[in-house]
Amino acid sequence: MSTAPRLSTPVLRSLRIFSRRAVYWGQRSCYHSYEHPQPPPFPPAESAILSAALSHVPNHGFTSTALKLGAQDAGYLDVSTNLLPRGVFDLVNYHLVTQRLALRHAVQFPAEGQPGRPGVGAKVRALTLARLRANGPILHRWQEALAIMAQPSYVPASLAELARLADEIWFLAGDTTVDFNWYTKRASLSAIYSASEVYMTQDTSANYVETEQFLDTRLADVMRMGSMLSGVGQWVDYTGHSAVNVLRSKGVRI
Amino acid sequence: MATVRRTARALMYSTRARQVFTVPEYLAPSTIFHQQCSRFHNTGAPTPPHSTQIPANEDAPSSSSTSSEKPQTSKTPSQPFTKAQSDFLSSALRVNQAGELAATLIYTAQTPPIVRAHPHLRPLMKHMYDQEAGHLTYFNSLLAKHRIRPTAMYPVWQVAATALGWGTAIMGREVAMACTEAVETEIGEHYNEQVRVLLDWADKMEARGEGLGEELTQMIGKLRRIRDEELEHLDHAVEHDAKEAKPYEVLTNVIRGGCRTAIWISEKV
Repeated sequence: MSTAPRLSTPVLRSLRIFSRRAVYWGQRSCYHSYEHPQPPPFPPAESAILSAALSHVPNHGFTSTALKLGAQDAGYLDVSTNLLPRGVFDLVNYHLVTQRLALRHAVQFPAEGQPGRPGVGAKVRALTLARLRANGPILHRWQEALAIMAQPSYVPASLAELARLADEIWFLAGDTTVDFNWYTKRASLSAIYSASEVYMTQDTSANYVETEQFLDTRLADVMRMGSMLSGVGQWVDYTGHSAVNVLRSKGVRI
Repeated sequence: MATVRRTARALMYSTRARQVFTVPEYLAPSTIFHQQCSRFHNTGAPTPPHSTQIPANEDAPSSSSTSSEKPQTSKTPSQPFTKAQSDFLSSALRVNQAGELAATLIYTAQTPPIVRAHPHLRPLMKHMYDQEAGHLTYFNSLLAKHRIRPTAMYPVWQVAATALGWGTAIMGREVAMACTEAVETEIGEHYNEQVRVLLDWADKMEARGEGLGEELTQMIGKLRRIRDEELEHLDHAVEHDAKEAKPYEVLTNVIRGGCRTAIWISEKV
């Protein structure tokens, strides 16, 4: 009988967990206000369970066992993990989102106007590398996470999170492009990041030096490709304008 | 639209403005600042309608008013935006950027043929282009600052706007002016709608006892000023015989329909 009051607390807490889920849409990339407070990315209960579960990932992997242990650590019933709508994927997603948001504090650049301030390209490299290294502690389990993310029903959410990561990196690097290059920059960084992430799972070198080299090579490729394309674009633009102006100078009414 | 403009003009220039105020808040011209200061406070000498030099302090309209009554800007918002609000802001600013991009390209493409045929229009075209370029810079900076995705149709609008500007300029001065009239009518209505929504938020937040915040207050001021400049272009177009364009009804209706479609698409993607 004495167990009843002790049980009731976790039960009630478990029932209350997800009653206010709808408020937490803050992970979307939308109008970013500097004055209005930002909603936290996860509800407190979900956050407690998932962060506790994440500490069990090195031993138990991205599995329901880790989730259950996490729920126990946070003071909830095992069964409350069933209330996570996407199960283990929510655990993977929690890792992705928290690491993305941590990037802002993980990498600090010298302030504006100081000597030695890196350019946008160098900042993108530093941020991408910092994000890759954040997978370090759970790297031996990361292939499980990749397999979960590749399940068809989770692919859209995984790609969306990848796009948000690329957006975060370009934003933190201080990129202010708002023409069509906005899309090409994010797409190429997403491709580079996911390739490097997969490469890193096979990397046995000290301090992931090989991953760093792999990343540098990919970034250099994209840079070369980009400058080539912009060169072609400039040439076409210039030739077109010259042609029109020559015709105008000949008196053609265009 | 014409009535609105006339009323707004009347408000700006009439000394009896205090008696005739009947238009909704959001239609008030940008030189009149509401809520933060006395409703008919004018930020300096009344600007003559055809040489709008932007006052240097247009960024902070409330700063020129009496500092004693600034109920809004002192308080900051305490709640995050709702999803609907955030969606509205991002799609509105995305459309504004696309619109100003198209406007600069239309004027860029119109200028050479028009100026060749009518050299006296060179200052006017330059004036309108410069204002549109200023608006585009403003919205570009807002998009970068607030992390809003630009429209995916960006290259399409570039081509379409250049084609529209060049095509109408080839057809003559009247048609080019009719194009300006149609575009600016649509865009003016569009900005009015945005100002109306933002003022609505301001009322609701004030009812909750919090301010709109510096960001949005400034944005409303800017939107009003940009709206007024677009409507000024509309006046210039009408003064330069936009109504004489040959299939006037067809032209303006087609262009206005095109604008509305482009706005609708840019809100989504």
